[in-house]
Amino acid sequence: MIIPVRCFTCGKLIGDQWEEFARRVKAGENAGEVLDGLGIKRYCCRRMLLSHVELIDEVLRFYEEAEKRKEARHYY
Amino acid sequence: MVRYGVSKQVEIKVLERDDRNIRLLIRDVDIPFMNALRRTVTSEVPSMAVDDIVVLENSSVLQDEIIAHRLGLVPLKTDLKSYNLPEECSCKSEFGCNLCRVTLTLDAEAKEGTRTVYSGDLVSENPEIVPVSDKIPLIKLAKEQKLRLEAYVRLGKGKNHAKWQPVSMCAYKYFPRMTIASKRCDACGKCAEICPKRVLAKSENKIVVRDLMACTLCQDCVNACPQNPPAIEVGGEENAFIFSLDSTGALPPEKILTEAVKILDEQLKELESQIKVKKSEES
Ligand code: SF4
Ligand code: SF4
Ligand SMILES: [Zn+2]
Ligand SMILES: [Zn+2]
Repeated sequence: MIIPVRCFTCGKLIGDQWEEFARRVKAGENAGEVLDGLGIKRYCCRRMLLSHVELIDEVLRFYEEAEKRKEARHYY
Repeated sequence: MVRYGVSKQVEIKVLERDDRNIRLLIRDVDIPFMNALRRTVTSEVPSMAVDDIVVLENSSVLQDEIIAHRLGLVPLKTDLKSYNLPEECSCKSEFGCNLCRVTLTLDAEAKEGTRTVYSGDLVSENPEIVPVSDKIPLIKLAKEQKLRLEAYVRLGKGKNHAKWQPVSMCAYKYFPRMTIASKRCDACGKCAEICPKRVLAKSENKIVVRDLMACTLCQDCVNACPQNPPAIEVGGEENAFIFSLDSTGALPPEKILTEAVKILDEQLKELESQIKVKKSEES
């Protein structure tokens, strides 16, 4: 749903790296190199970021849509 | 020969260190000692974590329980001097007092549009006890969603919950010892090729050890050697270890180690006194 705070296996803090990782990978950088640059060495921690899908963004869309409709109703 | 116990002169060398991680070479100790140290670090050294939360308002898409779990895992900078473990505190109160509890509050509302609430939005009553990083996403709120809560931070030990572990990794391995019989080795390079850690390298007509510390003693190079018996031998030194520790950021790595040694010392003294009591009872 949302990026886990820590690695499931070893417990290293990885949540704070997600936004930078996602941004740089989206910009076209090589994911492995970004992870090396962030100092994430173990493969348990690397898969946390590599395999993550930020589903909460999809869920929030329903609320954003509902909000827009509400505003539109006010308008007319 | 395997020696038991710790000799008088333990040799410790720092191989690497930064503000979170430390790697040591420890000589003249044995496995029981190393393991005791490791286990003390992971399960006995206290650190701080959110233990209880009171949710005042939550209209977000995540349930209270998930938020509580996420908050629990946020590593916090720990002050061992000014705070007591709740079970050892003089207040004897389940709720805690100023010496065994820190309150964090969060009051977040998405006014403009969708926003992310970060660990940096937590307001601590003690500015020393704050999340290790300000950028940990706690939750995302859509417009008009609210999250208000109070979180109570307590000291605890890793043996009760992993969130109280001060380390994310604490492990040791044998110090590798490698011998290459230069007479039998024909420098075919098979061992250098197969090594997953690239410990060995072929240079001219000889095999050289590039980075001995990286060796995991996997024995792949020995198995790959076409000579019979293999020209390369890999083993561990009996009384030397490479000890590595990754702090979560709650405490500096060397502080974790000194704290662990102190706790281990106290426990051994306790054991000794109990044995003495038992003996005097018997006689
Ligand atoms: S034991 Fe494994 S890691 Fe060590 S040198 Fe041989 S192949 Fe490399
Ligand atoms: S595989 Fe054996 S023979 Fe070949 S270079 Fe390595 S040690 Fe020498
Ligand atoms: Zn990990
Ligand atoms: Zn108290």
